[in-house]
Amino acid sequence: MDLIDRYLAAIARRLPAAKADDIVAEIRDDLLTRQEVREDALGRPLTRDEVSALIKDMGHPFVVASRYRPQQYLIGPDAFPFFVATLRIVAIFLALVFAVTAASSVVFGHADIAHAVGRAMSNLLNSAMLGFGTVAAIFYALERTGFPAEHLAKWRPQDLPEVKDKQPNAWGSAFEVAVGVYFILWWCGVVPFPAYYSNVKGLVLTPDPIWTALWWPVLALMVARLVYNVVQWLRPRWKMVQAAFAVGTAAGGLALLGVIFQAGHWMTASGTLPADQLADINQGVNIGIHWAIIACGAIWVWQCLQELWRLATSRPGGAGVRAAS
Amino acid sequence: MPIDDDMFEKLRVELRRGSLVLAVLGALREERYGYTLRQSLEDAGLLIDEGALYPLLRRLESQGLLISEWREEAKRTKRFYRLSLAGTDTLAALLHEWNDISESILRLNQKDK
Repeated sequence: MDLIDRYLAAIARRLPAAKADDIVAEIRDDLLTRQEVREDALGRPLTRDEVSALIKDMGHPFVVASRYRPQQYLIGPDAFPFFVATLRIVAIFLALVFAVTAASSVVFGHADIAHAVGRAMSNLLNSAMLGFGTVAAIFYALERTGFPAEHLAKWRPQDLPEVKDKQPNAWGSAFEVAVGVYFILWWCGVVPFPAYYSNVKGLVLTPDPIWTALWWPVLALMVARLVYNVVQWLRPRWKMVQAAFAVGTAAGGLALLGVIFQAGHWMTASGTLPADQLADINQGVNIGIHWAIIACGAIWVWQCLQELWRLATSRPGGAGVRAAS
Repeated sequence: MPIDDDMFEKLRVELRRGSLVLAVLGALREERYGYTLRQSLEDAGLLIDEGALYPLLRRLESQGLLISEWREEAKRTKRFYRLSLAGTDTLAALLHEWNDISESILRLNQKDK
């Protein structure tokens, strides 16, 4: 009885309290009945080893108890492909964020390669574990509220990408998203960024007031571009949404560039360097920004025209039309 | 190519798992408790994992296909199970399905001969 009692107690500990007594009583009866039948057949009491073997046939207490619970998995087979796809997106995003961070640290002289790579790997590992846990917890909760049954019932073959459509490059799109996040963080002053000139002793480059005046519009534009890149990456089928964002951000960007361009001067060099040297730097930097604004405007106009062309030549009735409406 | 024993065993278990509910419902047209139910299944050539039978009985009861009651027999209280009315209807429907599947498989395999 001692072994049977221990076995039943081990099962009972892992059962819902309301049902434990009832379940354990039934298993006890089964074990005792089998013991009696066996003893009758042998004509003697069972040895401790024989009772042990009898109990073992019933199964490990963890397994036996788990069979009385309704769900025995963290992520079920229907949700698993969506779980893996989400993890993949998170992994790509994290890898790129840390790669860009490490590369910029090296390029702009904030760290040597070994330190930058080591720190990026360590941060990536921590963030990956946190990301895995968070995604798993979200899917655990989602699955218990009906996902993916509803999604699987609603999906339509018409929403799948067309075979002739250019398939988006996941790494390229993820890279744009990572860079976008990094720029927003830099613009908000969360992370340091390109400041190679700060290594030049006696030189201070100060942004002109135009940048402060346009801080919010620039931030809004960066966020809109980030949303656009996320849609490109994760929802390549939403062509109307992409076109709207591309045209909208290009138009907004061009208007901003126009205002910035009209300022005519964007950075001021000062410091303890000789005055003629400061004047040269001042002129060089502002000429660089002048042409960068023109190049940026040309690229945005080109992208805007491309999106308009895609919009004009895409098939009607796609998912994007509904998504955009 | 020789048949892989492990692979065959997995396929066999998979095949039997689906039919186990039908066998249990069929055996419980007559009232039985766990031990005698397993005996009747074994006598019919259907082995069931020791720890799997009782959770299966609970599930079928929660689905309304079985009813149970604790009663004393041979100096011990035992839980007796039998088919409910819904269980009887479900068993008839499942048996019909089973026969259709069996006939389809036989027809498909006869074509190959």
